[in-house]
Amino acid sequence: MALLEARGLEKTYRLGQVDVRALRGVDLDVVRGEYVAIMGPSGSGKSTLMHILGCLDTASAGTYRLDSTEVGSLRGRALARVRNRLVGFVFQTFNLMPRLTIEENVALPLQYRGGFARRERLRRARTLLERLGLGDRFRHRPDQLSGGERQRVAVARALIGEPAILLIDEPTGNLDSKAGAEVLRTFREVHATGNTIVLVTHDRHVADEADRLVQLTDGKVVA
Amino acid sequence: MSFLEALLVGLDEARRHLGQTVLSLLGLVLGTASIVTVLALFGGQTKHTQEYLSQVGGYGTVIVRDQELAEQPSARELASDRLTYRDAAYLKEQATMLSAVAPGWYDELEYRAGDVDFTGPVVGTTPDYAVINDIRPEVGRYLSDLDVKLKSRVVVLGWKYADSLFGAAERALGKTLQLSERTYTVVGVLEREEFYFAAWTDNWLEYRNERAYIPITTAFTQYSGDDDQLAFLTLKATTPTGSRSATEQVRMMLRLRHGVEDFDIQPTGGADADDAAFILMFNFIFLVVGIISLFAGGIVIANILLASVVERVREFGTRMALGASSLQIFSQVLAQVLVIAVVGGITGLSLGTALTGTVAYFMRLPAVVTPPIAALAIATSVGVGIVAGFYPAWRAARLSPVEALRYG
Repeated sequence: MALLEARGLEKTYRLGQVDVRALRGVDLDVVRGEYVAIMGPSGSGKSTLMHILGCLDTASAGTYRLDSTEVGSLRGRALARVRNRLVGFVFQTFNLMPRLTIEENVALPLQYRGGFARRERLRRARTLLERLGLGDRFRHRPDQLSGGERQRVAVARALIGEPAILLIDEPTGNLDSKAGAEVLRTFREVHATGNTIVLVTHDRHVADEADRLVQLTDGKVVA
Repeated sequence: MSFLEALLVGLDEARRHLGQTVLSLLGLVLGTASIVTVLALFGGQTKHTQEYLSQVGGYGTVIVRDQELAEQPSARELASDRLTYRDAAYLKEQATMLSAVAPGWYDELEYRAGDVDFTGPVVGTTPDYAVINDIRPEVGRYLSDLDVKLKSRVVVLGWKYADSLFGAAERALGKTLQLSERTYTVVGVLEREEFYFAAWTDNWLEYRNERAYIPITTAFTQYSGDDDQLAFLTLKATTPTGSRSATEQVRMMLRLRHGVEDFDIQPTGGADADDAAFILMFNFIFLVVGIISLFAGGIVIANILLASVVERVREFGTRMALGASSLQIFSQVLAQVLVIAVVGGITGLSLGTALTGTVAYFMRLPAVVTPPIAALAIATSVGVGIVAGFYPAWRAARLSPVEALRYG
């Protein structure tokens, strides 16, 4: 059985008087340990799909199952729990907390999960940061880091809760080519240790890294 | 996220927006300070009133005054002997709720000693009067039972009169003086009595310094032609709290004897009404200022917090994406306001304590910030903070994650 199973996902926004159909019935299966890239031009609905897969938004129609949890019907607190435990989200703009240190940023998901003492959370955060090559930056603030380093901190934060799936939004959108290559290498390493990755991009070069490519156009999977 | 961590985030937020924090603190601080000051002053005044009462003889004192006849008195009123020395003797014997009875004769007489002379009040009474009204001689003694029995020509002077007539209290003792041409020997001078409700009020007890006491029997013989009419009776109830029931008992007994209620009777109260009313108004103004400040402070906090929430919408979206529940977001914002409120409360309490000290010093009012007042002040500040923080916290908590992330 697939780790991620979406069937007939639809999303309709109301913009003023007009209904915008961002997703028009998307089917998607991702198996455990897979590395999938979703590609499409802007307006193709890939961000909307990403938000629904990340449980930040809910579909207007269709079913979505993640790690044998029927996520589509969840709301509020239960959905927050799924976001915390099953999903690791890496934002295009990283969205690190500017006033927290790197280790505190990485530890945040465990803080929301509860049951971890601060000391333990930070210990885990440091272990992960060391693995990602940021061993000497624990106490730095995000603005003291380069773009590539921030991206890796965001990856560490997404991974710390040991999620079922890592969702990455436009990973190279805010990076130069050198940092972009570095980040892609990080993803490959993370994938190699058994993580499932779904990545959204409009960059062919990035998409080529993945095991499989899903092409999205006008709210539908075309390939 | 533990509460402590939420507090730390709150503290950090407060530090980061120092200007806003100071602004939002201002209302809280002023409000809390005002309330602290009012409560401290009010508590001090209550205590002060009690001190006054105890200085004039304490609780449980009852005064009966002879009432002037109406222009066209009824037959019953004419038939009454009015308030007499016999009433005093009767009450002393029969009234079960009284521990002391002092009859009072009163007139304005001409004082003369050497070349000083003036007209002033003289009270004819018995030794009980000193007990009931807590009067103590500074030199010599008060009237004695023997003085009353022998109708002695002795006088006890109030402090001010002794000073006016003889230059000093000690010098008056043993001297003679005339009261409307009858000669008396000074056997005692009373302590100087003072009580100021506030620096700007007169000495409420000055009347006690400006009078003289002679045995009531002497007064009857010398000035009333052996008639035993009284101006007043001062009574003491058996217990400090028994003045009301004693009043009722005495009222019944005297009405039966007189056949009509031709007297005023009431337990002694305290303060001069005008001054007390002024101070109450003063308190009221402080209290209103305090409440308005707190209200304004609350609105400012709500506003600033709301702005801070709007500014951090993306941050809340990110936190939600990482798994923060609405409740956790709500707590975080509320913790932030809690930090402000506690700091505001403590600062307000300090300022209020300083203000209380200043007011108390310049107005010579006793006022103390007691632990309950301090606790109430902090609680009020925190309460206002939480009420003010509720709406911004709720706004942050009900953000949709995806819309919050798209914001800005």
